[in-house]
Amino acid sequence: MARDLAIDLGTANTLVYMKGKGIVLNEPSVIALNRQTGEVLATGREAWQMIGRTPGYIVAVRPLRGGAITDFEITERMIRLLLQRVGVSRFTRPKVVICVPSAITEVERRAVTDAARRAGAADAQLIEQPMAAAIGADLPIDEPIGNMVIDIGGGTSETAVISLGGIVALEAVRVGSFDIDASIQAYVRREHGIAIGERTAEEVKVAIGSASETEDESQAEVRGRDLMTGLPKTVVLTPEEIRFAIDDVISSIIASVVRCLAKAPPELAQDFLVRGMYLVGGGGLLRGLAQRIERETQVPVRMSNMPLEAVVMGAGHCIEHYDALKGMFMGARR
Amino acid sequence: MIYVVVAVAATIVVVIVVALSKGGSRQEPGVVSFRKHIDALSPEARREVMDRVRPQPRDDEEPKG
Repeated sequence: MARDLAIDLGTANTLVYMKGKGIVLNEPSVIALNRQTGEVLATGREAWQMIGRTPGYIVAVRPLRGGAITDFEITERMIRLLLQRVGVSRFTRPKVVICVPSAITEVERRAVTDAARRAGAADAQLIEQPMAAAIGADLPIDEPIGNMVIDIGGGTSETAVISLGGIVALEAVRVGSFDIDASIQAYVRREHGIAIGERTAEEVKVAIGSASETEDESQAEVRGRDLMTGLPKTVVLTPEEIRFAIDDVISSIIASVVRCLAKAPPELAQDFLVRGMYLVGGGGLLRGLAQRIERETQVPVRMSNMPLEAVVMGAGHCIEHYDALKGMFMGARR
Repeated sequence: MIYVVVAVAATIVVVIVVALSKGGSRQEPGVVSFRKHIDALSPEARREVMDRVRPQPRDDEEPKG
């Protein structure tokens, strides 16, 4: 008998929670294929290490963009391989709860559930990421008080107000930490005339990226290919340059937080001032982001204890209490 | 004959009393399922999952999403 699973199928990482066991898999959502034969060569961490470093016959891809499936067939194969790695076979078909962005379309929803069913799930239910994040962040969402959660993922940023076990207000934008990396890549190309890969851009973000001024303003050396000569070249980037490069993305995320605050009923708004908003997701780890959101919204911002795992923990809780919480799944709204 | 009538009457009375007492404590199905939903989201219900999931060791080279 298969143990039921909760899956956080993120643009950046995929996490799997197994009922009764906890998190059993945490890997980048990447798959490497042989371009000629279509054969899967690697998934997860191994495939991620290949990004931008493959010979012509190998392609390492992220089959999800903006939290949605961009390549149905590849996503299905990736899910199938992930499920196999956690012990799912054709004889053991578990129930699966999958976390998805709240803004996905009906077609995208069906693509996710179909991919999971074809990959070996007996039943696939979907739950909105901010709801799962609020459960996983251990917020008191069972009480009649305003809980606000900001989930900044690889491809989407979602802000939700939750009270009495349901979503009261919600705002989502298809902008996330991959857009921050892309902004850094574009800036370096435009201003310094060198091309860098997405992994290098991410390293720059992690090393010196920030949303507002911080105490540590160290610079970083970046190596790429000179667009004029085609030769390798090194340039030095400052945190101020990176802040300028990513400002549009950060402003767009903060604007969606403000819109969500504006949508919340006034009775709940006073709770935010006392309790604050909770930041989850890998994008929330960007230095100075919490302080900048706090400064622009005048509402305290707190970081969740386990920002990267909160979503899958929330979905894991739903799989543990499947019958009592099945009203929370998308399409079964109470 | 009289005993049969008394027995039937007593049975009817008992059935009515039992039905009335059950009916008094019965809750609307919506109330029951909402209570179950809220209870399943309480901190006590969530404790098991929170205790099970400890912070995972992370490789600094991995994408943070």
